[in-house]
Amino acid sequence: MSATALIARHEWRRLAVQPFAWLLAAVVIALMAWQYLLALQGYLDLAPKLGGLKDAPGVTDLVAIPLLRSFGNLLVLLVPLITMRTLAGERGAQTLPLLLASGVGNLRIVLGKYFGALGFVLVLITCVALMPLALAFGTTLDLGKITAALFGLALFAAALTAIGIVASAWAAQPALAAAIALTITLLLAVVDAGARLQGIANSGINYLALPTHLEPFFRGLVASVDIVYFVLIAAVTLALAARRLDTLRSRSD
Amino acid sequence: MRRDRVLITALALRRSKPEQSEFVSIPNPAILALDHVSRRLAGREVVHDLNLNVSRGEVLGLLGVNGAGKTTTLRMIAGVLAPSTGAVRLDGANLYEQPERARRCIGYLPETPPLHQELSTEEFLAFCARLHGVARKAVVAAVARTLERCELGEVRRRPIAALSKGFRQRVGLAQAIVHEPELIVLDEPASGLDPVQAMKLRELVRGFGQDHAVILSTHVLPDVSACCDRVAILHRGELRYSGPATPNVANTLRVGVARTTGANDWESLPMVASAEAIDGIHWRVHLRPGVSIEAFAVAVVERGLGLLELRLDTAPLESTFLAIATADAPAQAA
Repeated sequence: MSATALIARHEWRRLAVQPFAWLLAAVVIALMAWQYLLALQGYLDLAPKLGGLKDAPGVTDLVAIPLLRSFGNLLVLLVPLITMRTLAGERGAQTLPLLLASGVGNLRIVLGKYFGALGFVLVLITCVALMPLALAFGTTLDLGKITAALFGLALFAAALTAIGIVASAWAAQPALAAAIALTITLLLAVVDAGARLQGIANSGINYLALPTHLEPFFRGLVASVDIVYFVLIAAVTLALAARRLDTLRSRSD
Repeated sequence: MRRDRVLITALALRRSKPEQSEFVSIPNPAILALDHVSRRLAGREVVHDLNLNVSRGEVLGLLGVNGAGKTTTLRMIAGVLAPSTGAVRLDGANLYEQPERARRCIGYLPETPPLHQELSTEEFLAFCARLHGVARKAVVAAVARTLERCELGEVRRRPIAALSKGFRQRVGLAQAIVHEPELIVLDEPASGLDPVQAMKLRELVRGFGQDHAVILSTHVLPDVSACCDRVAILHRGELRYSGPATPNVANTLRVGVARTTGANDWESLPMVASAEAIDGIHWRVHLRPGVSIEAFAVAVVERGLGLLELRLDTAPLESTFLAIATADAPAQAA
């Protein structure tokens, strides 16, 4: 097993033995289940009226996609809470020398932490995805659209996790790391708000915004430009985190 | 003739290992060599032109006051921190060009043990073993061996957070040796331990020194006397002294007498070279070469000085340390 996989697995194990992760997962799943049931009830109430419409939206558009979109919004808050301890927690507990003295390179340490945290986020996405997918037993779902939305969510989570990791590498306290990650994410979410208010939706600033690249996935569109955007964010932030770890090696504390 | 109660403590003579006086006379080839190593931190040179060797089967005590550069030196040796200039060589190879080698060959216990407290002792040590390159199949045996060696068997399944300070310190030691490194680097391992725990820890370190190279940083002089073969004293980032941890003290005695005496009284004894007062009743007496302690004790009793205590004096190391710590001029190496 490579050092990256070892650290990732260890990160997972550490999350699994902490009540915090379980509590977080329970709250998220309960919240999404509640939303899911509300959306399903709304659909059942609306279904008789939809029968007469041409190209009426189905259960995928009215239940599955809104639920996944809502979960995407929740990830903005959730991911910083998951990633905040990855490196800042190690610094706070003075356990970082264990990794730094192990001979494992900075990037591999960062990747280990990243994949450990991302694994947990992906499990949460899977849990939430199972809710609308369960409808397949009773109705016909647009599985292509749901797959695209899940793929987009996974990419979105990958970018947010990387932002969380770099924030955790920069901050000395987990709470500060969460705040930094949330701030960066929100900035990336609203960076084009001004342009949109003026009706500009296709300028350079729009391309910087996270929603510009996430929304097409919810419409069933998988474009390489959106994939590259999320991959680039993850790659750049993880490189910065590795660079930060290199700086931390030189610190006297 | 009145018989005074005589207490002779000769701890230093019980040391089984031969003394190693200087780098040039180290019997084993050096596993670790610091070659003109310097390190700047925040614009200040914390370690300056440091040359240091450690051999297998040797325990080196790194002494120095706070801020002397001990921890920075240890961090460079452990591979956490790269030197600004110079090289840290492990078996002749530059440590920073072969980090994987460092992964397998060095065990490091920082001043605060890096413990993942939510895990059990066994689980944590298994991770440390894998992190340091122990093969998956060998992990169970490595962990079992380490648990036994550090006497952690009874707490193997307990979360580290629930352990006492002494046990946690031992888990810290265990994580540093679980992969059987050739070089063990320990930064203040006895810090915060009670005397019994500290004694057990010293025994452990002494045991490690049988078949590993050990570098022990401390400012507790008895730790050095009890564990180390050799001592290096750092001051303001420079190596100011290097020599045996227990210098040749066979001719230096600490004598307690009931009757007030002057240095002349001691020097009038034919076997005494010189004497200096420590406090009201204690004297540091230097015997002439070849004089037996027994003959000196008899002479003191016959002189009627009221002998209360007589033991070998290990203070030369303390004197050297204090002289270096309180003065800026480099001390002469023993």
